[in-house]
Amino acid sequence: MIDTAFRQRPVFLLAAVVLVQVLLLAFQIKRDHDVRLIRYWAQAIVMPFERGGTDAVKNTGGFWSNYISLRGARAENARLRAELDQLRLQNRELAAQAGEAQRLSAILNFREAHPEAQMLAAQVISASADPTSHTLVLNRGDHDHVRRNMAVITPDGIVGKIVEVLPTTSQVLLINDKDSGAGALLADTRTHGVIKGSGDPDARLDYVINEEPVHPGELVLTSGEDRIFPKDLLIGTVSMANQGNPFQVIHVKPAARLDRLEDVIILLTPQELKKQDSAGAPGASPNSLGIVQQESEPPKPLVAPATGKPAAPNAAQPAAKAPAAAPPATTPAQPANSAPQN
Amino acid sequence: MSYMLNPGAQSESNIEVHRYYSGTVLLTAFLALVLQAFLHKYGRWSELVDLPLLVTVYFGLSRRNPVTGMFLGAAVGILQDALSHDNPIGLYGIAKTLVGYLASTIGARIDTQHPVSRLALIFLFFHFHQMVFAITQRVLLNHPEPFFTLRLLLNSVVTAAFGVALFALLDRLRKS
Repeated sequence: MIDTAFRQRPVFLLAAVVLVQVLLLAFQIKRDHDVRLIRYWAQAIVMPFERGGTDAVKNTGGFWSNYISLRGARAENARLRAELDQLRLQNRELAAQAGEAQRLSAILNFREAHPEAQMLAAQVISASADPTSHTLVLNRGDHDHVRRNMAVITPDGIVGKIVEVLPTTSQVLLINDKDSGAGALLADTRTHGVIKGSGDPDARLDYVINEEPVHPGELVLTSGEDRIFPKDLLIGTVSMANQGNPFQVIHVKPAARLDRLEDVIILLTPQELKKQDSAGAPGASPNSLGIVQQESEPPKPLVAPATGKPAAPNAAQPAAKAPAAAPPATTPAQPANSAPQN
Repeated sequence: MSYMLNPGAQSESNIEVHRYYSGTVLLTAFLALVLQAFLHKYGRWSELVDLPLLVTVYFGLSRRNPVTGMFLGAAVGILQDALSHDNPIGLYGIAKTLVGYLASTIGARIDTQHPVSRLALIFLFFHFHQMVFAITQRVLLNHPEPFFTLRLLLNSVVTAAFGVALFALLDRLRKS
């Protein structure tokens, strides 16, 4: 019966029988890691199809995500770029506002720390078109009771003086202008001199004799002799001091950032500002408002270059301390009006 | 009936298909397996003769039906695997299936009654069996089973010689 059934196809039957036995062997044989050979074969047979299916799904998904889903990417990109630009602009505005708030806060603190002084806050609206002239234009003028020779300062240090007053604006001559000048003194030795502009970013301290010890980093303060700037306001620090003939050549780096001023204070009166307590630093040091607290008297009396006599270290006698050969520091200040503080 | 190995001299229809008494084939195959396993306990000399192979070849050549020879070889081989100590089932089965099929196919085309032709056929089938066995071992089990050694050559010669005598004995079981 079986013979009859399979007589026509013995070769195929042979293959089937052999295949069955091969599979039988594969079920019994274990290869590496105790895995049956039939599993290896099953994996070898199935994996190409699974891998192909996986790749097909992946490629299809990739096509979908890379092409179809990105149809709106251009518009989204443009929208995000616009949003980014807007946020950058807002960020710059906020940074500017923060900086302005910081400056105004410092000015406010300064005003609160010196209620005895009449002062007026002002904004810098322009600068001189002449590159050799160091002047600024403020948004305060005659209508705000601003007058010539009023001191302009910042919490960091002095800026200059009012040289021209218009109804709503005024012009400030910076201390580093070549036509500028103010009474000054070295904080450590209380040696007096005259701070003058040279047209460079740094100012010069003139009329300090060669025998006076001056070292870079030393603070330079207003002496109050010019009757424009109150006494002991910070001007800057000595950046260079060399021997000269007959006086030392001293360069002073202004404490106020004269090249980036935005908000300033106009002192309506040349009244001396009260000194604020400094936290225990020896010697002269500026406080946060630029007012220098002097802890001790200078180690030796001042010597007037012209006379060679010790000058009285009395700030109330500016004429005695100023060098005899020195020209007037500034034009004598006109009596300031007792204008109301804005 | 010619006793000469004379391929092509006789047509397939002229070759006699031998008949045996009922159960003779199965009983003979069973005895061959039992004897092979039994004699194996008494020394390695028993390995010189492969009785299941001889039975497969004999009945394949005599019955001259490839399907019958194939199934006989498969059954003998699988039982031989089952009786062995560590062979996976199917190792001898595959080899003897092919031997049974090949023997039946050859037996249907040539006369294999002459002792010389039987000696040659047994010798050749022995090495064909060894070749299939070695290939299966190498491919599936990763065992370096040799295709040919001097011992295999000795075994094949002894098996062939013993097979000629055995075939003469088995010829007596025919219905004639």
